[in-house]
Amino acid sequence: MREEMVVASSLSVTFEQHKVLDGVSFKVGEGEVFALLGGNGAGKSTALKSFLGTVTPSGGSASVMGLSVASQIDVIRQKVAYLPESVMLYGHLTGVENIEYFLSLAGITSAKDKIESALKRVALQQDAWYRSLSNYSKGMRQKTAIALALLREAPVLFLDEPTSGLDPSAIDEFNQLITTLASEGSTIFMVSHDVYGACQIAHRIGLLDKGKIVGMFEREGDNPIDTEAVHASFSKRNG
Amino acid sequence: MSVIKQIMWDEWRYWQRTRLAITVIITGVVLIVASVIVNAIGIQHAKHEREHLQHAAESRFAEQPDRHPHRMVHYGHYVFRTPSPLSIIEPGVDSFTGTSIFLEGHRQNTAMFADQRQSSGLTRFSSLAPSFLVQVLAPLFIVLVGYASITREKEAGTLNIMMTQGVSKRHVLTGKLFALLGAGLLLLLPMILASLWASFRGESSLVTGSYIVGYLLYILVWSGVVLGVSALSHKSSASFAGLIGLWVVLCILVPRIGSSTAAALEPSPGKLEADFAVLEELRKLGDGHNASDPAFEQLKSNLLAQYGVETVEELPINFRGTVAQYSEKKLTDVLNDFAEIRMQEELSQAQIARHFGWLSPAVAIRSFSMIVAGTSLETHHRFLREAETLRFEFVQSLNKVHQDKLDYQVDMNRSKSAETSKAARVDASNWSVLSSFSFVPEAGGVRLVQGGTYGVQLLFWFGVVVLFLNLAMRRMSE
Ligand SMILES: Nc1ncnc2c1ncn2[C@@H]1O[C@H](COP(=O)(O)OP(=O)(O)O)[C@@H](O)[C@H]1O
Ligand SMILES: [Mg+2]
Repeated sequence: MREEMVVASSLSVTFEQHKVLDGVSFKVGEGEVFALLGGNGAGKSTALKSFLGTVTPSGGSASVMGLSVASQIDVIRQKVAYLPESVMLYGHLTGVENIEYFLSLAGITSAKDKIESALKRVALQQDAWYRSLSNYSKGMRQKTAIALALLREAPVLFLDEPTSGLDPSAIDEFNQLITTLASEGSTIFMVSHDVYGACQIAHRIGLLDKGKIVGMFEREGDNPIDTEAVHASFSKRNG
Repeated sequence: MSVIKQIMWDEWRYWQRTRLAITVIITGVVLIVASVIVNAIGIQHAKHEREHLQHAAESRFAEQPDRHPHRMVHYGHYVFRTPSPLSIIEPGVDSFTGTSIFLEGHRQNTAMFADQRQSSGLTRFSSLAPSFLVQVLAPLFIVLVGYASITREKEAGTLNIMMTQGVSKRHVLTGKLFALLGAGLLLLLPMILASLWASFRGESSLVTGSYIVGYLLYILVWSGVVLGVSALSHKSSASFAGLIGLWVVLCILVPRIGSSTAAALEPSPGKLEADFAVLEELRKLGDGHNASDPAFEQLKSNLLAQYGVETVEELPINFRGTVAQYSEKKLTDVLNDFAEIRMQEELSQAQIARHFGWLSPAVAIRSFSMIVAGTSLETHHRFLREAETLRFEFVQSLNKVHQDKLDYQVDMNRSKSAETSKAARVDASNWSVLSSFSFVPEAGGVRLVQGGTYGVQLLFWFGVVVLFLNLAMRRMSE
């Protein structure tokens, strides 16, 4: 059995008496790409944040790499990389400076050429690398943040809507990247509302609706998960 | 440690790139540098001028020709208070208490201002003393620079990203605190350099060292307050409003309330009222110029008995000089009693106002700064007392010359003709009874002991801020 990297057991989160997550359980193994799929407000981001300690569960538990989020969040944060839903970086810094700064906060000093090759890998146009981030488009920021997540060289990546804001070719490149990372042993937990994209890259898909897992789809062999089946199930619930 | 350093560096980089904070800091530093320079020049000038005037007054007195000794009592003398080295930073009460006194017989004059340039542009600018700028404006600058240091990251969502890189709240707060302290230190730097210069000009290094530490604590307190409020606020606008409110209360309102309370609790009688009370007392003493005033009957009969003679003419000494001494002593005792009461009232008022240092760090640093710099009310009172001692000594010495060196008969006949008046004089060499005057503030150790309470107030605020920052760290939302 593969190592269990990300585990949710009966996870519940309540905001102001409103149950956003209601007893969610799943496990993500090492080297696996797991996608949590759901409509707007389904609770996807909340589920993801439960592993980063920025949301406190009202019931159940979450753990990463065998470490409990409740008690060992500081250790977890040093081991994982997180791509937030809306990318928050500094407008007063350039793309490269942003990456340098946040890496240094994680205790990583990365050589310039390593940062540049990561930016190349996420296909951020070269003339933007040393320009102020305040002039970046949403997609460019997204790519910068993905490069940052890559450079963290974390065994587990938490990605919240990673392809939002990217153009189709960038999405293809991104999907390629995720597949490579997973084959190299990284564990990827992503949330998305893009059925097609998720089916392309995920080994498993959990369908989240109104705070509950309402379906699980698994890849058989090397074939992508059947988009039709997921889509049918998804649109039944999201109209 | 290196994470804290990174956060601090990035904060400085942010200030520099966004220009607002750096503009505020540069404006503040330029203002303080200008104020230190203008003040240092002004004080240095005043010091030379007063030393010169003091010297000139002493020579003028000594160079008077042969005269009747009592004319010298009324000719009088000036003393000047030379400024303490640290008054280039902290003029304290010097700017409104007067710095020179005219000393003469039978009167205690109030201190006046020696400088003629009182209302010139230079002195008006110097009312923006470095101490005022650092005590009142520096906190405002720190507020402007730092109010958004945490809220900015919250609003942009970058605080979350920092946290998810494995940075703790303690790291974030410490890094930002150091950054803010850096700005505070820049504002303090001109003052630190001026203190070192004062040290070089003769101030004890223990005093300047403690002085600098006091101000460092003050800057630390404000940096901590600004950071804590920013950490506890959700929005920059709320942090800004809260901090400006706090600044108005701590730097403007509490000091005012302090002095009003002091004035209400310890009301001092009006000048006129006090003057009448003194006159009332003095009238009972008799006129020292008139040896036959009935007030001196007792003195006369005692003297006659002592020397075993029948009339004052037979006395071996000049009775008029004896009366002058006797009445000057009586009068001085009365004047001193009133002066001591008035000084005690002033001091009680000041002390009540200084208790408000427990309510505002601005009051604490102000008290500490004035006392340690040697520009406090205590130092001024000592100047008044020393001046009075000198006055009494030279007046009585002249009265003794009057008694011992001028014949009674010659003295009595002094207004008969030009001839007799010329005879009723003593030699100018007697004017050397005047001792030279040079005022120095209390020894450094004494001032530090006097200022101890206010140093403790600053430490108290430091403790409050440490607790506040700990609370802010625990309560800080991400
Ligand atoms: N901090 C919060 N306070 C209150 N309600 C929240 C908070 N965060 C999310 N919610 C609510 O929880 C629900 C799920 O949010 P979210 O997890 O962001 O959904 P998704 O990412 O699936 O679109 C939404 O109704 C949202 O309004
Ligand atoms: Mg979301």
